[in-house]
Amino acid sequence: MKNDLISIDDLGLEQILDYLDLAARVEALPNAEKAGLLPGKILATLFFEPSTRTRLSFESAMCRLGGRVIGFSESANSSTAKGESFSDTIRTVEQYADVIAVRHPKEGTARLAAEIAGIPILNAGDGANQHPTQTLLDLYTLRKFFGQVDGLKIALVGDLKYSRTIHSLCRALLAFDGVAMTLVSPESLRLPGYLTQAAAGTTATFRESESLADAIRDNDVVYMTRIQKERFPDLVEYEKVKDCYRLEAKMLEGAPARLKVLHPLPRVNEISPDVDATPHAGYFEQARNGVIMRQALILDLLDARP
Amino acid sequence: MTPQNILLIPKIERGIVIDHIPAGLGIQVMALIGRWPELEDAVITLGLNYKSTRMGRKDMIKLQAEPLPPRLLQMLALVCPGVTIKRIERFEVVEKVVVQVPELFDNLARCINPNCITNAEPHVATRFRRIESGSRNFKCAHCERVCSLDELAGHLKA
Repeated sequence: MKNDLISIDDLGLEQILDYLDLAARVEALPNAEKAGLLPGKILATLFFEPSTRTRLSFESAMCRLGGRVIGFSESANSSTAKGESFSDTIRTVEQYADVIAVRHPKEGTARLAAEIAGIPILNAGDGANQHPTQTLLDLYTLRKFFGQVDGLKIALVGDLKYSRTIHSLCRALLAFDGVAMTLVSPESLRLPGYLTQAAAGTTATFRESESLADAIRDNDVVYMTRIQKERFPDLVEYEKVKDCYRLEAKMLEGAPARLKVLHPLPRVNEISPDVDATPHAGYFEQARNGVIMRQALILDLLDARP
Repeated sequence: MTPQNILLIPKIERGIVIDHIPAGLGIQVMALIGRWPELEDAVITLGLNYKSTRMGRKDMIKLQAEPLPPRLLQMLALVCPGVTIKRIERFEVVEKVVVQVPELFDNLARCINPNCITNAEPHVATRFRRIESGSRNFKCAHCERVCSLDELAGHLKA
Protein backbone atom coordinates (compact mmCIF):
# COMPACT_ATOMS: atom_id res chain seq x y z
CA MET A 1 0.00 0.00 0.00
CA LYS A 2 1.29 3.45 -0.82
CA ASN A 3 2.01 6.04 1.84
CA ASP A 4 1.04 9.71 1.86
CA LEU A 5 1.69 12.62 4.19
CA ILE A 6 -1.48 14.67 4.43
CA SER A 7 -2.08 15.79 8.01
CA ILE A 8 -0.01 15.94 11.16
CA ASP A 9 -3.09 14.54 12.91
CA ASP A 10 -2.58 11.26 11.02
CA LEU A 11 0.79 10.73 12.74
CA GLY A 12 1.29 9.28 16.18
CA LEU A 13 4.28 10.25 18.33
CA GLU A 14 6.12 7.11 17.27
CA GLN A 15 5.82 8.00 13.59
CA ILE A 16 6.87 11.59 14.23
CA LEU A 17 9.98 10.40 16.10
CA ASP A 18 10.71 7.94 13.32
CA TYR A 19 10.66 10.79 10.77
CA LEU A 20 12.96 12.89 12.98
CA ASP A 21 15.41 9.95 13.25
CA LEU A 22 15.25 9.39 9.51
CA ALA A 23 15.97 13.08 8.85
CA ALA A 24 19.00 12.88 11.13
CA ARG A 25 20.27 9.84 9.22
CA VAL A 26 19.74 11.62 5.91
CA GLU A 27 21.56 14.71 7.13
CA ALA A 28 24.53 12.60 8.19
CA LEU A 29 24.97 11.02 4.76
CA PRO A 30 27.77 12.33 2.53
CA ASN A 31 26.41 14.47 -0.34
CA ALA A 32 27.70 12.07 -2.96
CA GLU A 33 25.83 9.18 -1.40
CA LYS A 34 22.64 11.22 -1.10
CA ALA A 35 22.81 12.17 -4.74
CA GLY A 36 22.58 8.51 -5.72
CA LEU A 37 19.47 7.64 -3.71
CA LEU A 38 16.71 8.46 -6.19
CA PRO A 39 18.10 8.23 -9.73
CA GLY A 40 15.40 8.32 -12.40
CA LYS A 41 12.67 9.30 -9.93
CA ILE A 42 10.48 12.33 -10.60
CA LEU A 43 8.81 14.65 -8.10
CA ALA A 44 5.92 16.77 -9.41
CA THR A 45 5.45 20.03 -7.49
CA LEU A 46 1.89 21.19 -8.17
CA PHE A 47 1.59 24.63 -6.63
CA PHE A 48 -1.85 26.05 -7.32
CA GLU A 49 -0.89 29.10 -5.29
CA PRO A 50 2.54 30.67 -5.06
CA SER A 51 4.86 29.64 -2.25
CA THR A 52 8.39 30.12 -3.39
CA ARG A 53 10.03 28.87 -0.23
CA THR A 54 8.16 25.62 0.18
CA ARG A 55 8.34 24.80 -3.52
CA LEU A 56 12.08 25.48 -3.80
CA SER A 57 12.70 23.51 -0.63
CA PHE A 58 10.89 20.46 -2.08
CA GLU A 59 12.70 20.86 -5.39
CA SER A 60 16.10 21.25 -3.75
CA ALA A 61 15.40 18.16 -1.62
CA MET A 62 14.59 16.06 -4.68
CA CYS A 63 17.48 17.37 -6.80
CA ARG A 64 19.98 16.66 -4.02
CA LEU A 65 18.74 13.08 -3.86
CA GLY A 66 19.53 12.61 -7.54
CA GLY A 67 15.91 12.81 -8.67
CA ARG A 68 14.26 15.25 -11.03
CA VAL A 69 11.45 17.75 -10.70
CA ILE A 70 8.56 18.84 -12.88
CA GLY A 71 5.66 21.13 -11.99
CA PHE A 72 4.13 24.57 -11.94
CA SER A 73 4.23 27.41 -9.45
CA GLU A 74 0.77 28.94 -9.76
CA SER A 75 -2.54 27.82 -11.20
CA ALA A 76 -2.34 30.43 -14.00
CA ASN A 77 0.43 28.25 -15.45
CA SER A 78 -1.58 25.04 -15.22
CA SER A 79 -4.58 23.56 -17.02
CA THR A 80 -6.75 24.80 -14.16
CA ALA A 81 -6.70 28.15 -16.00
CA LYS A 82 -8.38 26.29 -18.90
CA GLY A 83 -11.04 24.90 -16.58
CA GLU A 84 -9.56 21.49 -15.76
CA SER A 85 -10.71 20.03 -12.44
CA PHE A 86 -8.23 19.38 -9.66
CA SER A 87 -9.07 15.68 -9.82
CA ASP A 88 -8.19 15.51 -13.52
CA THR A 89 -4.91 17.35 -12.96
CA ILE A 90 -3.93 14.76 -10.35
CA ARG A 91 -5.00 11.82 -12.54
CA THR A 92 -2.90 13.20 -15.38
CA VAL A 93 0.20 14.18 -13.45
CA GLU A 94 0.39 10.83 -11.68
CA GLN A 95 1.18 9.38 -15.11
CA TYR A 96 4.24 11.64 -15.30
CA ALA A 97 5.77 11.39 -11.83
CA ASP A 98 6.63 9.04 -8.95
CA VAL A 99 5.57 11.35 -6.12
CA ILE A 100 3.54 14.57 -5.98
CA ALA A 101 3.87 17.55 -3.63
CA VAL A 102 0.70 19.61 -3.82
CA ARG A 103 -0.20 23.05 -2.51
CA HIS A 104 -3.65 24.48 -3.05
CA PRO A 105 -5.71 27.38 -1.64
CA LYS A 106 -8.65 25.07 -0.89
CA GLU A 107 -8.74 22.86 2.19
CA GLY A 108 -8.88 19.10 1.64
CA THR A 109 -7.08 19.04 -1.71
CA ALA A 110 -4.14 16.94 -0.56
CA ARG A 111 -6.48 14.34 0.96
CA LEU A 112 -8.46 14.23 -2.27
CA ALA A 113 -5.26 13.88 -4.30
CA ALA A 114 -4.21 10.96 -2.08
CA GLU A 115 -7.56 9.26 -2.69
CA ILE A 116 -7.27 9.67 -6.44
CA ALA A 117 -3.60 9.01 -7.13
CA GLY A 118 -1.86 5.66 -7.09
CA ILE A 119 1.42 7.39 -6.22
CA PRO A 120 2.38 9.04 -2.89
CA ILE A 121 1.12 12.55 -2.13
CA LEU A 122 2.87 15.11 0.09
CA ASN A 123 0.72 17.93 1.41
CA ALA A 124 2.62 21.17 0.86
CA GLY A 125 -0.25 23.20 2.34
CA ASP A 126 -4.02 22.98 1.80
CA GLY A 127 -5.69 26.34 2.41
CA ALA A 128 -5.96 27.13 6.10
CA ASN A 129 -5.87 23.45 7.06
CA GLN A 130 -2.53 21.63 7.20
CA HIS A 131 1.14 22.05 6.32
CA PRO A 132 2.63 18.92 7.89
CA THR A 133 6.13 19.18 6.40
CA GLN A 134 6.52 22.58 8.11
CA THR A 135 5.55 21.04 11.46
CA LEU A 136 7.98 18.15 11.04
CA LEU A 137 10.83 20.45 10.08
CA ASP A 138 10.03 22.64 13.11
CA LEU A 139 10.19 19.61 15.39
CA TYR A 140 13.42 18.50 13.73
CA THR A 141 14.87 21.97 14.30
CA LEU A 142 13.88 21.90 17.97
CA ARG A 143 15.48 18.50 18.44
CA LYS A 144 18.66 19.57 16.66
CA PHE A 145 19.06 22.66 18.81
CA PHE A 146 18.09 21.13 22.14
CA GLY A 147 18.63 17.37 21.77
CA GLN A 148 14.99 16.67 22.53
CA VAL A 149 11.55 18.24 22.31
CA ASP A 150 10.27 16.94 25.68
CA GLY A 151 10.24 19.56 28.42
CA LEU A 152 11.01 22.54 26.16
CA LYS A 153 9.66 25.98 27.03
CA ILE A 154 8.39 27.60 23.87
CA ALA A 155 6.90 31.05 23.36
CA LEU A 156 4.60 31.34 20.36
CA VAL A 157 4.41 34.96 19.28
CA GLY A 158 2.23 36.99 16.94
CA ASP A 159 -0.75 35.77 14.98
CA LEU A 160 -1.83 32.74 16.97
CA LYS A 161 -5.40 32.91 15.68
CA TYR A 162 -4.88 32.39 11.98
CA SER A 163 -1.40 30.86 11.71
CA ARG A 164 -1.71 27.36 10.31
CA THR A 165 1.93 26.76 11.24
CA ILE A 166 1.23 27.54 14.90
CA HIS A 167 -1.94 25.42 15.09
CA SER A 168 -0.21 22.44 13.57
CA LEU A 169 2.91 22.82 15.74
CA CYS A 170 0.78 23.14 18.88
CA ARG A 171 -1.08 19.93 18.12
CA ALA A 172 2.18 18.08 17.49
CA LEU A 173 3.81 19.45 20.68
CA LEU A 174 0.92 18.09 22.76
CA ALA A 175 2.15 14.59 21.90
CA PHE A 176 5.52 15.24 23.56
CA ASP A 177 6.21 15.20 27.26
CA GLY A 178 5.82 18.34 29.35
CA VAL A 179 6.16 21.07 26.72
CA ALA A 180 5.34 24.48 28.25
CA MET A 181 3.91 26.96 25.78
CA THR A 182 3.66 30.68 26.38
CA LEU A 183 1.18 32.39 24.09
CA VAL A 184 2.12 35.97 23.23
CA SER A 185 -0.38 37.74 21.02
CA PRO A 186 -2.65 40.75 20.82
CA GLU A 187 -6.12 40.11 22.20
CA SER A 188 -7.65 39.88 18.72
CA LEU A 189 -5.18 37.21 17.56
CA ARG A 190 -5.31 34.72 20.44
CA LEU A 191 -4.94 30.98 19.96
CA PRO A 192 -8.35 29.31 19.29
CA GLY A 193 -9.88 27.77 22.41
CA TYR A 194 -10.13 24.29 20.91
CA LEU A 195 -6.32 24.09 20.85
CA THR A 196 -5.82 25.05 24.48
CA GLN A 197 -8.64 22.69 25.42
CA ALA A 198 -6.86 19.89 23.54
CA ALA A 199 -4.11 20.08 26.16
CA ALA A 200 -6.46 18.58 28.75
CA GLY A 201 -5.20 15.12 29.66
CA THR A 202 -1.73 15.81 28.23
CA THR A 203 1.42 16.94 30.03
CA ALA A 204 1.59 20.17 28.00
CA THR A 205 0.80 23.53 29.57
CA PHE A 206 -0.31 26.87 28.16
CA ARG A 207 -0.06 30.32 29.65
CA GLU A 208 -0.89 33.65 28.10
CA SER A 209 1.29 36.71 28.16
CA GLU A 210 1.32 40.03 26.36
CA SER A 211 4.98 40.73 27.02
CA LEU A 212 7.56 39.68 24.46
CA ALA A 213 10.30 40.71 26.91
CA ASP A 214 9.04 38.21 29.49
CA ALA A 215 8.83 35.52 26.83
CA ILE A 216 12.46 36.09 25.86
CA ARG A 217 13.62 35.85 29.46
CA ASP A 218 11.71 32.72 30.41
CA ASN A 219 11.84 30.40 27.41
CA ASP A 220 14.12 28.13 25.38
CA VAL A 221 12.48 29.10 22.09
CA VAL A 222 10.74 32.18 20.77
CA TYR A 223 8.74 31.16 17.71
CA MET A 224 7.78 34.32 15.81
CA THR A 225 5.07 34.51 13.16
CA ARG A 226 4.10 37.09 10.59
CA ILE A 227 0.84 38.92 11.12
CA GLN A 228 -0.82 38.08 7.83
CA LYS A 229 -2.45 41.09 6.21
CA GLU A 230 -4.52 38.89 3.88
CA ARG A 231 -6.34 37.36 6.87
CA PHE A 232 -7.91 40.63 8.01
CA PRO A 233 -11.32 41.54 6.62
CA ASP A 234 -10.81 45.04 8.06
CA LEU A 235 -7.45 46.66 7.28
CA VAL A 236 -7.88 49.14 10.13
CA GLU A 237 -7.66 46.17 12.50
CA TYR A 238 -4.51 45.01 10.71
CA GLU A 239 -2.86 48.42 11.07
CA LYS A 240 -3.55 48.31 14.82
CA VAL A 241 -1.65 45.09 15.40
CA LYS A 242 0.78 44.68 12.50
CA ASP A 243 3.89 45.81 14.35
CA CYS A 244 2.89 45.00 17.89
CA TYR A 245 5.57 42.36 18.37
CA ARG A 246 8.85 43.28 16.76
CA LEU A 247 11.98 41.53 17.91
CA GLU A 248 15.23 43.51 17.86
CA ALA A 249 18.78 42.49 18.78
CA LYS A 250 18.90 44.78 21.82
CA MET A 251 15.89 42.96 23.31
CA LEU A 252 17.96 39.77 23.28
CA GLU A 253 20.70 41.22 25.49
CA GLY A 254 20.55 39.24 28.70
CA ALA A 255 18.51 36.45 27.12
CA PRO A 256 19.46 32.90 28.16
CA ALA A 257 22.38 31.67 26.04
CA ARG A 258 20.41 28.69 24.82
CA LEU A 259 17.47 30.79 23.55
CA LYS A 260 16.68 30.25 19.86
CA VAL A 261 14.47 32.44 17.71
CA LEU A 262 12.55 30.56 15.03
CA HIS A 263 10.24 31.76 12.26
CA PRO A 264 8.60 29.86 9.38
CA LEU A 265 9.59 32.74 7.04
CA PRO A 266 9.02 34.92 5.13
CA ARG A 267 9.42 37.62 7.76
CA VAL A 268 8.35 41.20 7.22
CA ASN A 269 8.85 43.50 10.21
CA GLU A 270 8.55 41.09 13.11
CA ILE A 271 12.26 40.25 13.31
CA SER A 272 14.70 43.06 12.78
CA PRO A 273 17.62 42.12 10.46
CA ASP A 274 20.04 42.93 13.31
CA VAL A 275 18.84 39.75 15.08
CA ASP A 276 20.38 37.67 12.25
CA ALA A 277 23.90 38.24 13.56
CA THR A 278 23.08 37.13 17.12
CA PRO A 279 23.69 33.53 18.22
CA HIS A 280 19.96 33.30 18.92
CA ALA A 281 18.85 33.46 15.28
CA GLY A 282 17.75 29.97 14.28
CA TYR A 283 15.41 30.68 11.38
CA PHE A 284 17.82 30.22 8.49
CA GLU A 285 19.00 26.92 9.88
CA GLN A 286 15.31 26.08 10.26
CA ALA A 287 14.88 26.75 6.51
CA ARG A 288 17.85 24.48 5.81
CA ASN A 289 16.28 21.77 7.92
CA GLY A 290 13.23 22.04 5.67
CA VAL A 291 15.24 20.53 2.83
CA ILE A 292 16.54 17.72 5.04
CA MET A 293 13.13 16.84 6.44
CA ARG A 294 11.57 16.88 2.97
CA GLN A 295 14.35 14.61 1.72
CA ALA A 296 13.53 12.17 4.52
CA LEU A 297 9.82 12.29 3.67
CA ILE A 298 10.35 11.80 -0.06
CA LEU A 299 12.64 8.85 0.63
CA ASP A 300 10.14 7.32 3.01
CA LEU A 301 7.20 7.69 0.66
CA LEU A 302 9.21 6.26 -2.24
CA ASP A 303 10.27 3.34 -0.08
CA ALA A 304 13.93 4.27 -0.50
CA ARG A 305 15.06 4.86 3.09
CA PRO A 306 18.85 4.79 3.39
CA MET B 1 -51.69 2.78 21.30
CA THR B 2 -54.88 4.17 22.80
CA PRO B 3 -58.21 3.83 20.89
CA GLN B 4 -58.22 7.62 20.61
CA ASN B 5 -54.83 7.59 18.88
CA ILE B 6 -55.90 4.83 16.53
CA LEU B 7 -58.69 7.14 15.37
CA LEU B 8 -56.11 9.85 14.79
CA ILE B 9 -53.63 7.60 12.95
CA PRO B 10 -55.22 4.74 11.05
CA LYS B 11 -53.40 1.42 11.37
CA ILE B 12 -51.81 0.06 8.23
CA GLU B 13 -51.95 -3.57 7.18
CA ARG B 14 -48.47 -3.69 5.75
CA GLY B 15 -45.62 -1.22 5.41
CA ILE B 16 -43.32 1.00 7.44
CA VAL B 17 -43.97 3.39 10.31
CA ILE B 18 -41.45 6.13 11.05
CA ASP B 19 -42.26 6.99 14.66
CA HIS B 20 -40.85 9.39 17.24
CA ILE B 21 -39.94 12.06 14.70
CA PRO B 22 -39.23 15.22 16.71
CA ALA B 23 -42.26 17.51 16.36
CA GLY B 24 -41.68 19.92 13.48
CA LEU B 25 -39.43 17.62 11.46
CA GLY B 26 -42.24 15.53 9.91
CA ILE B 27 -42.55 17.82 6.90
CA GLN B 28 -38.79 17.64 6.31
CA VAL B 29 -38.88 13.84 6.45
CA MET B 30 -41.79 13.89 3.96
CA ALA B 31 -39.65 16.01 1.64
CA LEU B 32 -36.87 13.42 1.93
CA ILE B 33 -39.27 10.58 1.11
CA GLY B 34 -40.35 12.59 -1.93
CA ARG B 35 -36.83 12.21 -3.36
CA TRP B 36 -37.38 8.49 -4.03
CA PRO B 37 -39.30 7.76 -7.23
CA GLU B 38 -39.94 4.17 -6.06
CA LEU B 39 -42.01 5.56 -3.18
CA GLU B 40 -44.09 7.77 -5.47
CA ASP B 41 -47.05 5.39 -5.58
CA ALA B 42 -47.01 4.54 -1.87
CA VAL B 43 -49.96 5.61 0.25
CA ILE B 44 -48.52 7.83 2.96
CA THR B 45 -50.11 9.14 6.14
CA LEU B 46 -48.43 12.09 7.82
CA GLY B 47 -49.29 12.91 11.41
CA LEU B 48 -48.04 16.04 13.11
CA ASN B 49 -47.79 17.10 16.71
CA TYR B 50 -49.15 14.00 18.43
CA LYS B 51 -48.88 13.78 22.19
CA SER B 52 -46.06 11.54 23.29
CA THR B 53 -45.20 10.47 26.82
CA ARG B 54 -41.51 10.29 25.96
CA MET B 55 -41.15 13.34 23.73
CA GLY B 56 -43.99 15.66 24.68
CA ARG B 57 -44.95 16.09 21.03
CA LYS B 58 -43.92 14.06 18.02
CA ASP B 59 -44.57 13.57 14.32
CA MET B 60 -45.22 10.20 12.65
CA ILE B 61 -45.30 8.89 9.09
CA LYS B 62 -46.84 5.66 7.82
CA LEU B 63 -45.92 4.33 4.41
CA GLN B 64 -47.76 1.48 2.78
CA ALA B 65 -44.60 0.38 1.07
CA GLU B 66 -41.40 -1.45 1.97
CA PRO B 67 -38.54 -1.68 2.33
CA LEU B 68 -37.19 1.83 2.91
CA PRO B 69 -34.27 2.64 0.59
CA PRO B 70 -31.02 2.31 2.63
CA ARG B 71 -29.91 5.83 1.67
CA LEU B 72 -33.19 7.24 3.03
CA LEU B 73 -32.48 5.48 6.32
CA GLN B 74 -29.00 7.03 6.38
CA MET B 75 -30.51 10.46 5.78
CA LEU B 76 -32.94 9.91 8.66
CA ALA B 77 -29.92 9.14 10.85
CA LEU B 78 -28.58 12.56 9.90
CA VAL B 79 -31.79 14.61 10.10
CA CYS B 80 -33.56 12.98 13.03
CA PRO B 81 -31.51 10.28 14.79
CA GLY B 82 -33.52 8.48 17.45
CA VAL B 83 -36.58 7.89 15.25
CA THR B 84 -38.08 4.41 15.41
CA ILE B 85 -38.62 2.43 12.22
CA LYS B 86 -41.31 -0.25 12.56
CA ARG B 87 -42.09 -2.87 9.94
CA ILE B 88 -45.75 -3.80 9.89
CA GLU B 89 -47.26 -7.05 8.65
CA ARG B 90 -50.94 -7.96 9.07
CA PHE B 91 -51.43 -4.84 11.23
CA GLU B 92 -48.73 -5.99 13.67
CA VAL B 93 -45.23 -4.66 14.36
CA VAL B 94 -42.87 -7.47 13.29
CA GLU B 95 -39.60 -5.54 13.51
CA LYS B 96 -38.55 -2.37 15.30
CA VAL B 97 -35.28 -0.48 14.95
CA VAL B 98 -34.15 2.78 16.56
CA VAL B 99 -32.06 4.82 14.13
CA GLN B 100 -28.73 5.66 15.79
CA VAL B 101 -26.16 8.34 15.02
CA PRO B 102 -23.61 6.45 12.90
CA GLU B 103 -19.81 6.73 13.04
CA LEU B 104 -19.62 7.78 9.39
CA PHE B 105 -21.81 9.69 6.94
CA ASP B 106 -20.82 8.57 3.47
CA ASN B 107 -21.61 11.11 0.76
CA LEU B 108 -24.86 12.27 2.34
CA ALA B 109 -24.02 15.89 3.00
CA ARG B 110 -21.95 18.73 1.62
CA CYS B 111 -19.16 20.15 3.76
CA ILE B 112 -20.12 23.29 5.69
CA ASN B 113 -16.72 24.82 4.84
CA PRO B 114 -17.22 26.76 1.59
CA ASN B 115 -13.48 26.54 0.94
CA CYS B 116 -13.43 22.73 1.13
CA ILE B 117 -12.37 21.14 -2.16
CA THR B 118 -15.46 18.89 -2.07
CA ASN B 119 -17.59 21.99 -2.65
CA ALA B 120 -15.50 23.02 -5.64
CA GLU B 121 -15.64 19.52 -7.13
CA PRO B 122 -19.13 18.28 -6.25
CA HIS B 123 -18.61 14.85 -7.89
CA VAL B 124 -16.23 14.01 -5.03
CA ALA B 125 -17.84 11.75 -2.42
CA THR B 126 -17.79 13.44 1.00
CA ARG B 127 -17.17 11.57 4.26
CA PHE B 128 -17.79 12.83 7.78
CA ARG B 129 -16.50 10.81 10.72
CA ARG B 130 -17.69 11.15 14.31
CA ILE B 131 -14.83 12.77 16.24
CA GLU B 132 -15.35 10.44 19.20
CA SER B 133 -17.86 7.92 20.40
CA GLY B 134 -20.98 9.58 21.81
CA SER B 135 -20.18 12.97 20.28
CA ARG B 136 -22.58 14.79 17.96
CA ASN B 137 -19.66 16.41 16.14
CA PHE B 138 -18.23 15.18 12.87
CA LYS B 139 -15.02 15.88 10.99
CA CYS B 140 -14.78 16.27 7.22
CA ALA B 141 -12.40 13.61 5.90
CA HIS B 142 -11.06 16.13 3.40
CA CYS B 143 -10.71 19.60 4.94
CA GLU B 144 -10.79 18.34 8.59
CA ARG B 145 -13.36 20.98 9.60
CA VAL B 146 -15.39 19.83 12.58
CA CYS B 147 -19.13 20.50 12.46
CA SER B 148 -22.22 19.50 14.42
CA LEU B 149 -24.84 17.00 13.35
CA ASP B 150 -27.35 19.85 12.96
CA GLU B 151 -24.99 21.77 10.70
CA LEU B 152 -24.53 18.69 8.52
CA ALA B 153 -28.28 18.07 8.41
CA GLY B 154 -28.64 21.55 6.94
CA HIS B 155 -26.27 20.60 4.11
CA LEU B 156 -27.87 17.44 2.72
CA LYS B 157 -26.72 16.51 -0.77
CA ALA B 158 -29.31 16.60 -3.55
